[in-house]
Amino acid sequence: MNALFVLIPVSIVFLLIAIGIFIWAIRSNQFENLESAALDILTSEKNELGSKPKPSDAD
Amino acid sequence: MNAIVGKFESVVNAKAASVCFHCGQSIKGDLVEEKVGSQLQAFCCTGCSAATLWINEAGLSDYYDLRTEQAPQANADNVDLAAWDHPDTLAKHARICNQDNSYHEMIISVKGMHCAACAWLIDRALSKQKGVGEISVNAVTGRLHLRWQQDVSPLSTLVTCLQRLGYRAFLTRGSELEQSRSKEKKQLLLRIGLAALVAMQTMMFAEALYLDTSNAMPTETRDMFRWLCFITATPVVFFSGMPFIRGMLNELRQKTFGMDFLAASSILLAYFGSLYQTVIGGQHVWYDAAVMFVLFLLVARFLEYRTKQIAYEQSDALARAQPYLANVIREDKQMAIPVDQLKLEDILCINPGESVAADGALLSDAAAFDESLLTGEARPVLKNQGDFVFAGSIGSLQSARLRVTKVGRDTELSQLLFRVESAQLKKSGVVHYAETIARYFVLGILLITALVFLYWQQFDSTRAFEISLAVLVVSCPCALALALPAAFASAQSALAKIGVLSFNNDGLVNLAKVDTFIFDKTGTLTQGKMTRVDEHYYVEDSAYALAIACALEKSSLHPLASAFTEASSLPVKNALVIPAMGIQGDIHGRQYRIGRADFACHKTDDGRLWLGDGEQAWASFSIQDTVRSDAKETVTTLLREGLQVHIASGDAQCKVATLANTLGIANFSARQSPEQKQAYLKNLQSQHHIVAMVGDGINDALVLASADISIAMGAGAAIAQRSADMLICGERLDRIVQARNIAIKTQKIIRQNLQWALLYNAVSIPVTAMGLIHPGFAALGMVSSSLLVSINALRVRNVQVSP
Repeated sequence: MNALFVLIPVSIVFLLIAIGIFIWAIRSNQFENLESAALDILTSEKNELGSKPKPSDAD
Repeated sequence: MNAIVGKFESVVNAKAASVCFHCGQSIKGDLVEEKVGSQLQAFCCTGCSAATLWINEAGLSDYYDLRTEQAPQANADNVDLAAWDHPDTLAKHARICNQDNSYHEMIISVKGMHCAACAWLIDRALSKQKGVGEISVNAVTGRLHLRWQQDVSPLSTLVTCLQRLGYRAFLTRGSELEQSRSKEKKQLLLRIGLAALVAMQTMMFAEALYLDTSNAMPTETRDMFRWLCFITATPVVFFSGMPFIRGMLNELRQKTFGMDFLAASSILLAYFGSLYQTVIGGQHVWYDAAVMFVLFLLVARFLEYRTKQIAYEQSDALARAQPYLANVIREDKQMAIPVDQLKLEDILCINPGESVAADGALLSDAAAFDESLLTGEARPVLKNQGDFVFAGSIGSLQSARLRVTKVGRDTELSQLLFRVESAQLKKSGVVHYAETIARYFVLGILLITALVFLYWQQFDSTRAFEISLAVLVVSCPCALALALPAAFASAQSALAKIGVLSFNNDGLVNLAKVDTFIFDKTGTLTQGKMTRVDEHYYVEDSAYALAIACALEKSSLHPLASAFTEASSLPVKNALVIPAMGIQGDIHGRQYRIGRADFACHKTDDGRLWLGDGEQAWASFSIQDTVRSDAKETVTTLLREGLQVHIASGDAQCKVATLANTLGIANFSARQSPEQKQAYLKNLQSQHHIVAMVGDGINDALVLASADISIAMGAGAAIAQRSADMLICGERLDRIVQARNIAIKTQKIIRQNLQWALLYNAVSIPVTAMGLIHPGFAALGMVSSSLLVSINALRVRNVQVSP
């Protein structure tokens, strides 16, 4: 029985954290573009090797 | 084709030349070769090769591996983009960034994005530019959200970068609209997310109560769980469920009972009923039912909202139908000004391919204009000095100057838009039957509950409240309220999967009932592209004659020229386009002419295209707009299913007749003005036909708005899309048949759902009213009924469609 008095508040704290993260995700436009993000992983390797944009080749 | 080309040494090797490496189009005229990586690749134009080189240099060659659709054809033409930096443009369409005021923020509509790789390419390409902050590109909606420093890198350079890649940038209708859309979407997402997270927690607590089957739980613990449920359910009901509550209040204010009334009343009843039970320490609570219902309804609503939003954004009309900037000559200088600053008597310059911003009288000697958007006539119309040119037509062949005679709301185009809009308004009250059912249902339930309460009051007043609450809960019209939204949401997503976007549910309902289809010709049944269908040669070396024809046509922007796509590098000197006659030019010291018979070889004009040297005929071609490959099949299927098929076209009688003949369509009418098309449709409607209209041009907009269900082709005019109920994104006519199947299936499932909801209520209400069912089981019955309806709705997606 006493376990409930610990576990229920803990679950509510977790819930609040989850809601907080969700609100942050929405605010920072995480759901705006769900398509091209999927492609990033396919090219990340090459980007690290050399074609990563540097300030000097900006123009 | 290779045989012809191989004959002439001067012609570039065209073996690999069939398609362009960048845009995938067949190569007409000279091909351009460029080394890409270690391989030599062929391109259709310098624009495309420049785009590829640029992409490679920028280290973005992954694009070619990632893409799933071909790139748009890049254009090497230098378009003056200074207007993008115009203070007026920035003031109207961009805004200063909140966080850092050296940045501007703007949403640009980009045409030509086909797949996620395009979005990726644009993202990478622009982020390499100096002074560019955050970018987000959405390939689905064709939107680019840009944050940049105007003084470091002006907007025009960024747009140039887009154009160089082959994309075309357009201003969106206004940043406020876009902002409010994005805000609305975020709000809805937040409601759903919160509902999902908190509903799970509520159900967790409710679970504890359900598991207590033998009532062994101490009353204090039980009450604690009930209050916990109450605390978690409250934000779900009043924050996530707010759209329904607000909708209910609106309906009450208008003294109607609709879907929102149903939804909100069941949510609130379950919630407040539970609260009452919690306070008096009653038998059961139904907080979990309340939150689950909010979640289900929100998800159905979000799916529907998303599909609609994509549909609207993809066809964001005004930005593309009307040019935002116009080139005028003021004080002897040519300058780009926003269209709303155009004044009467201004001198307007129209370059080939540009659309005309205002009605005006032609000042140049003669010029051709493509009025296909307004009239449906595929070929450009020749105008002489003093003739009127209408806004929305597109300059063809050579640049022209106009004296502006009508601006803004007075132009023919605006008038047409106005008529379309009023036709749309009239198209009212199509599907309200669900709402009508809902209204009677709600009233009926309230009446029954009142009767049950009165009855039990007399016999066993202690059970009166419990039983009438059980009646309300068991009949809780959730299944009924979910029956339609769930089926529609499911249908919308099934349609979106085959590239058909549906703007409203009325269209979906009507499509299932349609018995007559009217098709437009140009751009709908045909591709709006010219090909040679029949050619005769009067000289021995037919290949050489064709090469001459191709070389001559290459110097023309005329739509007919697209019928001559073979590569040919015969040098043409003194090429001259003679409007309404044809083209002449010197090849190897001899003058050739291609065009009307009387111009090319002194014969009488017969509508064919002739090649000659001014005296003698060399060849003659018959040029036709290509019929879409799936047109025949689509029409046949529709006819086989017992539907009537008509053609209403603005094009010439003989052409429409030929096409109708090929496709096996008996009913057609040619040379139809927009008003005549509308009358044609109204006539059919007055004979009690339910008519679907399929069209693509501005000239179809009026008839589209009046049809019972209107379907626009994606490649067509924006205004046509705006007045349509459905939009077909790809160039596929057979989607119409498939969309119809989905609509019919949806209809069937809605009927099943409604029948189930009514049957369930017909059984459960009497049983509950007799006091045989516990409110707890009533809630369980209600939830499972809702689930059944939702799951049934998903079956809409099972309609078989070809890929």
